[in-house]
Amino acid sequence: MIWHITKRELYDHLNSLRFAFTMVLLLILMIINAIGYLGEYKAQSVAYQEKVSASLDKMRSNADSLYTLLTAGPGNLYKKPSPLSFCANSGEAFIPESAQGSSASWSAGFDGFSIRGIWRMKYPQTNPNLWNIMPDYTDVDWGNIISVVLSLVAILFTFDAISSEQEHGTLRLILSNSISRGTALVSKFLAALITISIPFLIAALINLFLLYTSGSTPLGASEWERLGIIALIAFVYVSIFLALGLLISSHVNHSSTSLTILLLVWVVWIALLPFTLGALTSGLQPTMTSDELNARRENLRQNLDEQYKNRWSKASREIPATKETLLWSKYVMEDAKRNEKLDEEHLDAQIAQIQLARSITRISPASSVRYAIESLAGTGFTRHVQFLAQVGRYAGEFNEFLVESDSVDSESPHAIGPKEGTSQKPVNFESIPKFEDRISLSGAYNAAATDFMLLFLFSAVLFAGAFLSFLRVDV
Amino acid sequence: MFLTLIRRELLANLMTFRFSVAMVVTLSLVVANTIVLIADYERRLTSYNTAAQQHHHKVSEAEVYSAVEGKIRVDRPPNTLSIFNAGLDRRLGNSINVRHTLVPTLWDTQSHSADNPFLNLFSSVDLVFIFQVILSLLALLFAHDAIAGEREAGTLRLTMANPVSRPIILLAKYTSAMACLILPLIISLLLALILFSVSGSILLKSDDWLRIGGILLTSIIYLSAFYLIGLLISATTRRTATALMLSMVIWSSLVLIYPSLSVFTVNRLWHTPSQLEAAYQEIEQIWERFEKERMDYLKNDGVEGENTNFNIKSGSSWGTVNLGYSSTLKYFKPEYRHWTNIDEDSEPQVPYVKSYFQFSEPRRIRAAEQTWLVRQKALDQVYVRKANVARNLMRLSPAAMYDTSTEAWAGTDLHSIADFITTVQQYRQTIIDYFYDKKAFSSRQWFASDRGAIDLNDLPRFSYHRADVLTGLKRASGDMACLLLINLVLFMATFLIFVRQEV
Repeated sequence: MIWHITKRELYDHLNSLRFAFTMVLLLILMIINAIGYLGEYKAQSVAYQEKVSASLDKMRSNADSLYTLLTAGPGNLYKKPSPLSFCANSGEAFIPESAQGSSASWSAGFDGFSIRGIWRMKYPQTNPNLWNIMPDYTDVDWGNIISVVLSLVAILFTFDAISSEQEHGTLRLILSNSISRGTALVSKFLAALITISIPFLIAALINLFLLYTSGSTPLGASEWERLGIIALIAFVYVSIFLALGLLISSHVNHSSTSLTILLLVWVVWIALLPFTLGALTSGLQPTMTSDELNARRENLRQNLDEQYKNRWSKASREIPATKETLLWSKYVMEDAKRNEKLDEEHLDAQIAQIQLARSITRISPASSVRYAIESLAGTGFTRHVQFLAQVGRYAGEFNEFLVESDSVDSESPHAIGPKEGTSQKPVNFESIPKFEDRISLSGAYNAAATDFMLLFLFSAVLFAGAFLSFLRVDV
Repeated sequence: MFLTLIRRELLANLMTFRFSVAMVVTLSLVVANTIVLIADYERRLTSYNTAAQQHHHKVSEAEVYSAVEGKIRVDRPPNTLSIFNAGLDRRLGNSINVRHTLVPTLWDTQSHSADNPFLNLFSSVDLVFIFQVILSLLALLFAHDAIAGEREAGTLRLTMANPVSRPIILLAKYTSAMACLILPLIISLLLALILFSVSGSILLKSDDWLRIGGILLTSIIYLSAFYLIGLLISATTRRTATALMLSMVIWSSLVLIYPSLSVFTVNRLWHTPSQLEAAYQEIEQIWERFEKERMDYLKNDGVEGENTNFNIKSGSSWGTVNLGYSSTLKYFKPEYRHWTNIDEDSEPQVPYVKSYFQFSEPRRIRAAEQTWLVRQKALDQVYVRKANVARNLMRLSPAAMYDTSTEAWAGTDLHSIADFITTVQQYRQTIIDYFYDKKAFSSRQWFASDRGAIDLNDLPRFSYHRADVLTGLKRASGDMACLLLINLVLFMATFLIFVRQEV
């Protein structure tokens, strides 16, 4: 019986104006998305390779002495482009693509003795928006197509599911058969879900076909897996709005009232709330301004100078290291460590600010679905945080390597920091640890899981609500 | 009869559930967002004030004229009306260095409030956006059953049985629905203004009131366009359900999808053959020519060596930077020199230094201006044209027309930002004139502070005033005219269809 009603509903839907609209709209959007991102991944990968090799070349030229390597650092570390960037690319413009392991910008000297700061990790804080004169727009990526268009379409398919049958009296006809109300509701839900999934899947496959055949986006097993999960998330997301539509539709007698309510709920919940909440909550945990940061850096420098004020005598290349050399070594290391700590603190505060705003915007499922798709596509903020974690680990490895290579050099006083205290032997380039950004799948799944659960919860609650309210409908 | 009809329609609209829901939603959104936007404005104002003060003080640190270069920095105040339409006001750089060696452009701006850059991930919603989305939806909801619904219910025939002409019926429907649409608009504005006065930080000038009036007028024209779209649909379709569905399709395409889609397409697919590289080379050549002239001069100036030390044996700090960024074609080459004291023996060298700077600085200024001509052309072609194409393509949707014209009214559009840049360029010229007046380039104080630091108290101060309302009107008028035209066409079409229709 359930299939019988589903089939009837399905035929109804497939012949309707809204189905044609959905089909056309999704096709246009998905094709434009594919055209827009044609060649994007290829270009990004080429640029990534070039930048990485430029960075490695620099490192190779610095490998002529351990001391140069110590002051110059590993160079720029780049984030690997994701082949699935066409799925979620909205925020990429505001997220830096690299971290810089570069030299400290200070040096000092007296009486022919000079000393320089050693390398540390720096996190560029660029804002490309300062010169961006394009009008504001939302990127046409899968995330936005799913979160905006599919939810709207879901509402258009369910707003009159019950109220119009009530208006026409056909609901009574259905229920006069030996069929439970639950079955009727489920079949309506299924019919709408299938109707929406047909144009979505067709459009998505055409999109992937275009991207794949053009040779710009290689789709391996892992990509297909992630795309499959994205589609699954899209279905769960759509079912939230189907359930919402059924809920309102069974509550309200007229379909036009039902649509009004649904549209207003949709506009507020999907189109406005994520932005308003984001803007509102991001002000809750203000981070350091650049002035404060500079003041703290200045303060840190003064404290350090105060602590090591007896350091002003020359370091020398003697084995074992002299007291002066050790003092300079401590000073230089401490300087790098404290500055790095300050930078990390600043970065952590910024990340915490965004994480808070993100968790609050999850009140809107549109945000959840975008975040989930972002994580799976390997773009966006979560991915950036994962990248930063990798950078942090790598910085540790690199430093360990420096200490280790210094310790095997018998001609070094092993007081790393000043030139006199550090090994100056050439370093074997091959043995230097290299940074390679890895897109961690388990990390992506973990990040997406929370959002997925949240979406599932929303849809379960709303479906239960629709069920209860349908049970009590007077036919 | 007309009045009776209007009263009936008004009541019919006002009493509906959709009206009360839309009213509540609009008002609560307006209040919530105004509070957020005011707080944001206050934050920006504070950082502007701090920055402006700091930058003003920074200039007085200069002890010689050549050190003034790079120390003058001017800031763009936040626009009060960005609460209505944020436009580009919030996003673009708002702080810029004024140097005689570089003609400033939009691409040299920085931000004086270096906030968390990740915050850009959350864009904020301004008041115009709320009207643009919600009230247009309400207009369509009012309109979709205005004719089709009455026809279905049979009341249209009843009305026509009275001695009343069809145009009157149409007009009555239009007037009353517009009244119902203007009501939430006005109340929202009032609430926003009340919140402004409560906050105390936002002071509206008489100019601003006119601008808000302009925004209100544009909003009314915009809503009228959407109402007429709905009315046309309602007149042409037989059933309310079809009319409703069609209205929603058109609303979602025009308001939500098309504007983003068009800009996305242009952004992704518009590739002007990049003139940046050629322009950069041209600029490099300009500076090479300058450098050659400079070296020639140093060779023939009668002092040994081609350096600019002029064999003065005293403590000096100096710097010459050669800065070039190929993506924005920023290229400049300032030369800074500062002797805190000059020995007696070196005194005879001073005239040479004077005449060197008298020779080099005007040429540096000329090179900067030549650079600007090349740069402006190339940047316009690459960045501005793309943005303009995107904007014009987007304008096919009335929602985008509404957005751009309110931007112009609020003074947050690209033109207004360009006005600021023009003012800065003029300010640079006044600084150069000031240098000429003081004969600074040929003076000892260009490079030496041994006879006292320079007095910069009479340095012209920077002041920026937004273009007046008339300019705003002029910039908004194109889009407003288009919206009016749409109104007219839609009204005529609806009228013709309705007059000939069978009831």
